[in-house]
Amino acid sequence: MLAYLIRRLLWLPLLLIIVSFITFTLGYYGPADPIVALLGQHYDPEIATQLAREYGFDQPFAVQYLKYLERIARLDFGESIKYRNQPVLRLLIPRLAITIQLNAVSSFIGVVLGIGTGVTAALWRGKWVDRLVVFGVVFGRAIPVFVAGPILLFLFARTVPVLPAGGWDGIFSRSAVLPVVLLSIGPMAIFARQTRSGMLEVMGQDYIRTARAKGLREVAVVTVHALRNAFIPLLTILGFLLGSLVEGTFLTETIFGIPGMGQFAFEALGGRDYPVIITVTLLVAVAYALGNLWVDVLYGVVDPRIRQA
Amino acid sequence: MPLHVREELRWEKVTLFRESRWIPLIAVVLLICLGAVCVLGVVGGTTFLVPLSRTEEAGPVAGAGGPNESNAAPPTQTREAVETPKEEPESPTALPTGEQVLNVPGGDPPTLDPHLSGDATSAEYVVEIFSGLVTFDRELEIVPDLAESWEVSDDGTVYTFFLRQDARFHNGKPVRAQDFKWSVERACDFRTRSTTADTYLGDIVGCRDMLRGNANQVEGVQVVDDYTLEITIDQPRVYFLAKLTYPTAYVLDQENVERGGRTWTDNPNGTGPFKLAEFRFGELIALERNENYYRDPKPQLERINFVLSGGSRMVMYEQGELDMTAVGLNDIERVTDPTNPLNSELLTVESMGIFYIGLNVEQPPFDDMKVRQAFNYALDRQRIIDVVYKETVPVAWGIVPPTMPNYENPDLKPLEYDPEKAQELIAESKYGDVSEFPDITFHALGAGGATGRVIEAIVASYEENLGVQVEVQQTDWATFLSDLNRPDNPNQMWGGEAGWIADYPDPHDFLDILFRCGSFQNHTGYCNPEVDELLDQAASEEDRERREALYRQVEQIAIEEAPWVPLFFEVEYWLIKPYVMDAYLPPMVVPKYQYYYLER
Repeated sequence: MLAYLIRRLLWLPLLLIIVSFITFTLGYYGPADPIVALLGQHYDPEIATQLAREYGFDQPFAVQYLKYLERIARLDFGESIKYRNQPVLRLLIPRLAITIQLNAVSSFIGVVLGIGTGVTAALWRGKWVDRLVVFGVVFGRAIPVFVAGPILLFLFARTVPVLPAGGWDGIFSRSAVLPVVLLSIGPMAIFARQTRSGMLEVMGQDYIRTARAKGLREVAVVTVHALRNAFIPLLTILGFLLGSLVEGTFLTETIFGIPGMGQFAFEALGGRDYPVIITVTLLVAVAYALGNLWVDVLYGVVDPRIRQA
Repeated sequence: MPLHVREELRWEKVTLFRESRWIPLIAVVLLICLGAVCVLGVVGGTTFLVPLSRTEEAGPVAGAGGPNESNAAPPTQTREAVETPKEEPESPTALPTGEQVLNVPGGDPPTLDPHLSGDATSAEYVVEIFSGLVTFDRELEIVPDLAESWEVSDDGTVYTFFLRQDARFHNGKPVRAQDFKWSVERACDFRTRSTTADTYLGDIVGCRDMLRGNANQVEGVQVVDDYTLEITIDQPRVYFLAKLTYPTAYVLDQENVERGGRTWTDNPNGTGPFKLAEFRFGELIALERNENYYRDPKPQLERINFVLSGGSRMVMYEQGELDMTAVGLNDIERVTDPTNPLNSELLTVESMGIFYIGLNVEQPPFDDMKVRQAFNYALDRQRIIDVVYKETVPVAWGIVPPTMPNYENPDLKPLEYDPEKAQELIAESKYGDVSEFPDITFHALGAGGATGRVIEAIVASYEENLGVQVEVQQTDWATFLSDLNRPDNPNQMWGGEAGWIADYPDPHDFLDILFRCGSFQNHTGYCNPEVDELLDQAASEEDRERREALYRQVEQIAIEEAPWVPLFFEVEYWLIKPYVMDAYLPPMVVPKYQYYYLER
């Protein structure tokens, strides 16, 4: 297990190099540059050239990229260009903290509620509860964040103004309610659906009949025998969940004006603030990679058949 | 896979699972733990980042959820008693601590370093924390700030400033002429990476040399004695003093900057009416009154909280979390309705800005002046602006905004709506007919969203009145600027929702910067030697009326030769709570909060 983990972790730097290379190339050859964005309406070609030299943007691609890699290797993510002289991490960490809080709480709520609803639906298969859940799942999956967000805002901030329309007072405040609800709809729908189908499949298995035959209580049958096996496909989704959350967070933060990483990254794109853009991209890549790794490790715990495959 | 491995695996599975039948439970617990650890870790993390804690005296502030103080604040004690402002006749009676707190919306400033700030968001804070030799009063007239008075030599190139002897930095250190010399040289040093030094200080002899790395000091700035400073510029420029009001010309404390390193603005030792008390990126910037401020009016607000986190500012205003807010287009109709209670709290500010369509005189079909004029005549600007902007902004018939001090042009002959004349002009042009035009593309600002309504209306008008199909292409701000800045600007026409906002309140900032041959901000490629001649005369003309007359001529020629289709002058709508007194909303970023006070 340990060897496997180490082997997987060794791939991480390579992955990061590839990701940084792609981002760097896109930035280098893409339209406009940070100096133009920085100078705005005070543009003067001579000043632009001078600034580009100061920032090292006049050097060839390979030199710039290798210098960047070398700094990254020392965990120096550079300084923002738009936020003059401010180290990227200093700007990013408070925003990242907000994004992680938002994501952790939403995915936790989404997953727990999703599994609960899924099990309920499976146990009462064909009854009204089940139908309601199936309908809700389709609805929850089909409606994108950028549609659901404004609807929630309209309902709970405008029509019945019980919750703030935006802003951020921390995760345990009223301002977090709508964003968390919005972000947990997706995971909840996916998990409800997968749990339901997983449970239905498992409940028809021989060993469930055996378990019932040997006189186990239904609760034990469901939790110990059925749910455990229904978990395996759920873990796969958990890995992908990270991805959809990142996307959802970007939109949610924009809709609610939450000063998180998504909003910040969006702003950095507009200003061609490459040190920030690349750092965010690397962070997302690391999150994805670690998320998947964690899922693989959990797989091994739940289903030892996979452990050394 | 070989069989024996599978056997081994099976065995392992059996032993492992026999011991732990509770794997699903464990997985759930793991999940919960992970969630909990994330939340706790992160919450703990933020608390760790802002270690100092103190009671929030700021009332209901969104974004101030954790009543923590960032490391930005020097450990100043909250003052118990408030001095009654002496010089303000209309000032209220002394208010107990905690009531003179203003909550306003704000944005994350790209920098608090005056020499680096080149955007309005940064300037908003910088002008309150720092100050310079001269500033503007409420009529936008230049008035003494750190300089008590000044003299200009007969040839108009040497300015001698006599500094106030009572001015102090926030830490109590006196402000001397040497500080100004050091500050100008820092701004002009290319290693500072200022984007604005060239524009605002470039006229000072030696600054451009330093910006290009050819000098170690700015010889045009000389310290005569501790309180006398002499600044020499390259040629007489009447607008030079106006440029010195900009943050790039502000004075900094050398010790503060050098000791603080690259992030010295965490603890800025300024000279302005307010001090930085708290700064949490994305959440809050708080300014505190500078009790030792030297100039009248002395600040009366004890604290200004700039709420940086987003969300609907209108809702926050209505819920009392903000004391003032700008009104967006979507809410304008509601608040301009006289029956709405908010209507009495509405204030309009005419900004010193203009929105226009730029026509590239080097690209067909706009290389023919008659076509450019036709594009002016063909647009029913009054109707478009009234409909799209709900009659909230004035149509721009000229170029210089009406809020410009000491300038007006009542006799300006605009190119008013006349579709027939437009068609005649096209028939007279070298193209003869619109069918001879190349494809026309309108470059608009935007990132994937719907085109702005004003651009839709413009495109529809051209089709209706001229029979010209104009295609709209959207680019984001950086690409938009990047194209315009190219010497061979590829855009035929652009703008609509992009414009020009004054850097200093002088017609020079519009007519000279935007219409002079080869000016980097003149993106249309318009070039008329006669205009340049007039601009040169105006730049050194000290007689106010003669100067105004010269600029009027330039404006008339620029309208007639039509490198632009001016659209409208910017107007902002603000809601301000009735207890906010003397709320001064200037048409450009100048120090303003020293005028405000609250009377509940």
